[in-house]
Amino acid sequence: MSTYTIPVGPLHVALEEPMYFRVEVEGETIVGLELTAGHVHRGIEYLAMKRNIYQNLTLLERVCSLCSNNHPFTYCMALEKIAGIQIPERAEYLRVIADEIKRIASHLFNIAMMAHIIGFDSLFMHVMELREIVQDIKETIYGNRMDLAANCIGGVRYDLSEEKIKYLARQLDNLKKPLEEITRIYMNNKFVRARTEGVGILPKDEALRYGVVGPVARGSGINNDVRVKSPYAAYDKLKVNVQLETGCDVKARALVRLREIQEAINIVQHCLKELPDGPTCIDYLPEIPAGEAVARSEAPRGELIYYLRTNGSDIPERIKWRVPTYMNWEALKVMMPGNKVADIPLIINSIDPCISCTER
Amino acid sequence: MVRNIQEEFTEKLTRALGAEFSLRWERDSKGVVTGWCRLHDHRHITTVALIVASLGGRVITITAYKTKDDQQRDSHEIAYHFDLDGCTCTVTIEVPGDSGKVNSITPILKSADWTERELQELYGIKVVGHPNPKRLFLDDTIDEGIMNDFIPLSIAMQGATSKTLWEKVLAATSQEGEVK
Repeated sequence: MSTYTIPVGPLHVALEEPMYFRVEVEGETIVGLELTAGHVHRGIEYLAMKRNIYQNLTLLERVCSLCSNNHPFTYCMALEKIAGIQIPERAEYLRVIADEIKRIASHLFNIAMMAHIIGFDSLFMHVMELREIVQDIKETIYGNRMDLAANCIGGVRYDLSEEKIKYLARQLDNLKKPLEEITRIYMNNKFVRARTEGVGILPKDEALRYGVVGPVARGSGINNDVRVKSPYAAYDKLKVNVQLETGCDVKARALVRLREIQEAINIVQHCLKELPDGPTCIDYLPEIPAGEAVARSEAPRGELIYYLRTNGSDIPERIKWRVPTYMNWEALKVMMPGNKVADIPLIINSIDPCISCTER
Repeated sequence: MVRNIQEEFTEKLTRALGAEFSLRWERDSKGVVTGWCRLHDHRHITTVALIVASLGGRVITITAYKTKDDQQRDSHEIAYHFDLDGCTCTVTIEVPGDSGKVNSITPILKSADWTERELQELYGIKVVGHPNPKRLFLDDTIDEGIMNDFIPLSIAMQGATSKTLWEKVLAATSQEGEVK
């Protein structure tokens, strides 16, 4: 049979951000893939080395919207390591709460997109409606539906009153029942199963070789959750049950995300119960000495790392971050071959791609 | 028995390189261990990559940056951030100023693929032996090693929201009007 090359992207209706895929097909079956990136490269890494460490806090929150909490969070942790700052215990818990709320919203968005791509639009709307509860939580507590501006050097910029704690607990309860229902549909519905089972297989050994992270790795049975492997904030005091699947396919990755939403709700509820009293931030403007540090966190899509070098001035000498999606792109070369052309957007969506993060 | 991956790494590195490196481990208040290693010879990065691979580790990312050497000349260093079962170990090498080349570790650790391509286009450091050394992000019209250049913030920020952009748009549309 003849081989053809079909271009997918850089603009594609199912993928909101631009990435170019050169797909080799034999008939309807994919046999090879080449990726071309760089369509929205913004040079933020360079910009971050021109601005001072305080301005960067705002800039980094704008690298990407869905994991926008993790960027300033991890950056702060790197600065705090260099300056030897111990943040208040209440701030550690509040950081976890902000992070887990973002995780719920991010995962729900990806889950919803999957339903949209397979043409199950009522399910798509059902999930997005559920996500709206989380968006309301963000708006009520942080004053914004996407960028929370929760973190600052030495702690957090927000606090939870008794009233807000009650509101948050109530809203989280409201998520539970519909979430169970949605999880059942993703697990059992015959149309969903027909499109997702055995599609986009990434075997465990290949996942290890490519160094994939987040739900993509956990869908292939790899436990590399940063919250457990190298705890930070209050995660050393919390029980995080890592959600693993062994199906290695699109369905496995979706189920990992659905179960992580449930787990995130439990974590936030636990934090609200255990929330210690005290200040939410250090009470002085810290000076950052010369030094270097790495900090890692588990963003919704997986491990995020910041490497920071300072020289005693207020401009960072080098700041480098690597986002989770960055590691997952090349693994598409394993997931794609053998699948049908119609599954291309579905498999791409299953790695929860973030191009604004990847290209920065 | 709990596996102590830091000890295994140190032991294997000492056996392979003798005293050709310095290494220290830090433990933070959460009990997370971070390693900082510096190699005296940049070519030993291949040996380190082989050791990381044998321990089941991966490359998290690689950072290149500009620095000054002993004679205050501009030079480059590369920090490789490896993951060893949850422990981050940063291994730093100095890029030889005369050649500006280092060996690629992608053939040993596939996880280094994109990040090596990126550092090559941003800092103009040649990564020898990379299986796919094409540009990753930057357009061909942008010079290689752009991160070595000094660009003032005012220029770097001439982006989508600046007055300059709108001036360009208006200039272009008014010219179209004249043609008609």
